[in-house]
Amino acid sequence: MDYALQVLSIDLSARTARQAGLDAEISRRYLGGRGIAAYFLSRSPTMAALDPEAPLIFATGALTGSRIPAAGRMVIAGFSPLTDTFCSCSVGGSLARELKRAGIDAMVITGRSERELMLKIEDGVVTFEESNYGTDAGLEEIFSGSKGFKGAVAAVGRAAFQGCLYASIMVDSTFSSGRGGLGRVMAAKNLRALAIKGSSRTYVCDSQAEELSRADIMRLFDAAPAIMGRSGIRNYGTGALVDLIAARRMMPTANFRRTYFEDSLAFSATRIKQSMEPGSYACHGCPIACKKKGHQEIPEYETLSHFGALNENSDLAAIIEANHICNSAGMDTITAAATIACLAEIRGERYTGQALVEKVAQIAEGTDELLPLGSARLATALGKPWTSMSVKALEMPAYDPRGAYGMALAYATSTRGACHLRAYPISHEILRKPVATDRFTFAGKARIIKIAEDLNAVVDSIGACKFAFLGASLEEYAKGFAAVTGLTYDTQDLMRIGDSIYTLERWINTQRGFSVKDECLPERFFTEAGSSGAGIEIKPIDRSAFDEALQRYYRIRACGPDGAPTRERLEELSL
Amino acid sequence: MIDQVHKYHAKLMDQGLVDTQGPVELYGLDDEIYSNLDGVSEEVTVLFGRLNINSLIIARPNQVQWAIIQELSRINHSLICPCDCESLTFIHDIPLVEHLDASEVAQALNRRKGCIVKDVGIVTTGSVSLEQAFISFSSICFATFVKFFADCINGLTGFGPRPETRTLDMLSSVMDICRPLEGVNTLSRAVPKSEDAILASLDQTGKIVVERRLVDSFFGNISYRDAGIIYISQTGSSLDELPGHIDRVPLDGSSTCELTASSELLAHVRVYERTGDKAILHGHPRFSVIMSMHGNPLSFDEKRFVADVPVVAGEVGAGRHGLVHTLPAAMEHTHAAIVHGHGTFASSPHSMHASFDSLAEIEQRCYLLYQSMVQRYL
Repeated sequence: MDYALQVLSIDLSARTARQAGLDAEISRRYLGGRGIAAYFLSRSPTMAALDPEAPLIFATGALTGSRIPAAGRMVIAGFSPLTDTFCSCSVGGSLARELKRAGIDAMVITGRSERELMLKIEDGVVTFEESNYGTDAGLEEIFSGSKGFKGAVAAVGRAAFQGCLYASIMVDSTFSSGRGGLGRVMAAKNLRALAIKGSSRTYVCDSQAEELSRADIMRLFDAAPAIMGRSGIRNYGTGALVDLIAARRMMPTANFRRTYFEDSLAFSATRIKQSMEPGSYACHGCPIACKKKGHQEIPEYETLSHFGALNENSDLAAIIEANHICNSAGMDTITAAATIACLAEIRGERYTGQALVEKVAQIAEGTDELLPLGSARLATALGKPWTSMSVKALEMPAYDPRGAYGMALAYATSTRGACHLRAYPISHEILRKPVATDRFTFAGKARIIKIAEDLNAVVDSIGACKFAFLGASLEEYAKGFAAVTGLTYDTQDLMRIGDSIYTLERWINTQRGFSVKDECLPERFFTEAGSSGAGIEIKPIDRSAFDEALQRYYRIRACGPDGAPTRERLEELSL
Repeated sequence: MIDQVHKYHAKLMDQGLVDTQGPVELYGLDDEIYSNLDGVSEEVTVLFGRLNINSLIIARPNQVQWAIIQELSRINHSLICPCDCESLTFIHDIPLVEHLDASEVAQALNRRKGCIVKDVGIVTTGSVSLEQAFISFSSICFATFVKFFADCINGLTGFGPRPETRTLDMLSSVMDICRPLEGVNTLSRAVPKSEDAILASLDQTGKIVVERRLVDSFFGNISYRDAGIIYISQTGSSLDELPGHIDRVPLDGSSTCELTASSELLAHVRVYERTGDKAILHGHPRFSVIMSMHGNPLSFDEKRFVADVPVVAGEVGAGRHGLVHTLPAAMEHTHAAIVHGHGTFASSPHSMHASFDSLAEIEQRCYLLYQSMVQRYL
């Protein structure tokens, strides 16, 4: 069977839609998901993020709709208005499945509608419907208005229309494109929502091999404490990390001025479970079911930690309310919380409890001028740029880099700014998977991070979930990929493609003016110690060791000392 | 990285996985290659160029193990399919390659963590650290050893195809050499009185279990219960390197710090609940595993006995078919059980001394049983 991705190109200015099979070689080279998104974005690498012609891409993976476990995700990608980098976000929910069932592997949206639009796609038939929600509409209104549709809905909320640079695209009301402000890109196109449903089934080349792969992966999930263990994310969601990260004394506290929060028990997963008895739900086909919901949505680890420790707030109800406002307005909780923490440091104040909720509401309602711009712009505007705890203007998530040096390097090299998921070294530095590494050394980390970046580029390109890799490995997913697609790619073939995708992303960023000067941590991490205790010393990171590791990474990644991929490497990869 | 190279070189030697008969090459790669050797061969350079990895071991296992692998390689032409539970879960199958040709080896390692090169030894890789390559090396040794002996006994007793004469000659020649190591149990019988004493006891027990070869690679786990706390080895920890790798887990699950604890934590919890014991030791003694697989495959709700020890089915972890559902009940009265194709769990009410004794004694009994069956049917 030929592997040629079906791509739906939509021009909102002209209100036209055209579906065509992508060149088979390009399809095989970039797989789908994040890879194919990078390919499309590389065709106009310097376009401004909010240019009407800038592409907004929705792309499923090859495993979408198959029986391979934890493969119900997809990627939304574009240029970030927050960071100006290449930006891709892995998104859960039912959107990937419905897009695939509609016969579409990827959707590239360009142009800008004069009036606010809702796109409806049913089995490949596209209709452009004008929507009358108005810029103040909450996402609840949009999602409840689509209840009769019986498909998947992705929408942007008022944060996006009011100019928040970290507005997200929400899927099925609770799954989010998260980081980088792609919701703002969608709103700039005057596109309010996408409603998609389809009725075809994913073609599987070898269903017997698919079943063998499924069984191998499930056995490994069962054997992984972080997934299926008593305290694993199946039972508690990612909130399970609260106790562990606190115990490792690397929970960012008070805008990263400390690394231990005495009151973290207030928002620990066990406390939430006792008091709220949440149920579980999942992305399509996922046995892990990491999402938790009580009478309200239970926030993920990053959100708990940042609306909690980062803001020195031990009021669980306020954390849950802040999360609810973010989901309802459609914005990234990590950047929202980190920007408020940055403002608190600048003003010498603390925003906890109701004060925190009010700050979040101000962002959602657009009543504060600076908070919707993210911490880098806010700190610069207030004359204290060093208080923004970000890399490439993307705020750091809830792992203090002084407590995990691989994480420190990965924040710097990530193609979308300070992101924990591009290389996810927490897996080995904290969770001991696939094996444990020494978290307080840069020795060997340059290549480890490079390999993990390649791996996760593949994971995001085939539609899999990164949590699956706390148990299984690409070895098992490669078998699943071959079973579903009929392409005889082995683990290392996929890793080579991952390398190529990551190099392409770095090349895009290079074209946008990014270089070694942007791949560094805020000064605080090199000069201030964290909160040592319980036999763990959290020292400032040795700047020269960090710089050496970064240069080693560049050499391994075939980049020059400025961080740009070498011409030889680009030619080798036919980029 | 050179520290890692030296560490795992020493572990390969200390654990008797290799001897001086063949190559023992370890490589770690960051932006340059580190090795226990002075130079780097062209094959190794090519392998690092073709595989997205950071560590590599090329080594011939000890003489007996290598003879077993060669025999299996003769019978299985391109692939060895292990039969024990952990190997099936973690390494799936082992490709066979004729020669140390970089292109052939790379093709095998394209899809698996390790392979057997028929005229050289075992080649394994890692993408995070040399520990992965070491684990895969050790796992391949364990998987092939267990497969050889399990296939032989099942074949001899009518539960599989009868082994060829050449295979049986090999079995006879290695049977005595493969006898489990014996020695004095030097562990204290006293109940540890403090946290430090508990940690010291776990450390000493882990070391003796590895010394006596009752566990391979990083498999196996150990715990001690005291005052509502379980002190348990972390997931992926080596039993001979336990200091700093013990998690302190509240029995009632009130903290999620146990995320890094052994994947068998819940089984330990349930065994403590059933038996009231205080010390649990889980190892992979080879003949216990082999004898647990003698006969027809065991269904999930079935139990049988080997050397008077219950054998139950169950996969790794706490899933629907996990051993957590079968093992605790089996141990309630016997304080020991073998999980089919996996390993032995032994518990005791006071200290690790009795748990270790039990583990070692069951292995001796299984070996003697195997030996007597071979003599009877050969």
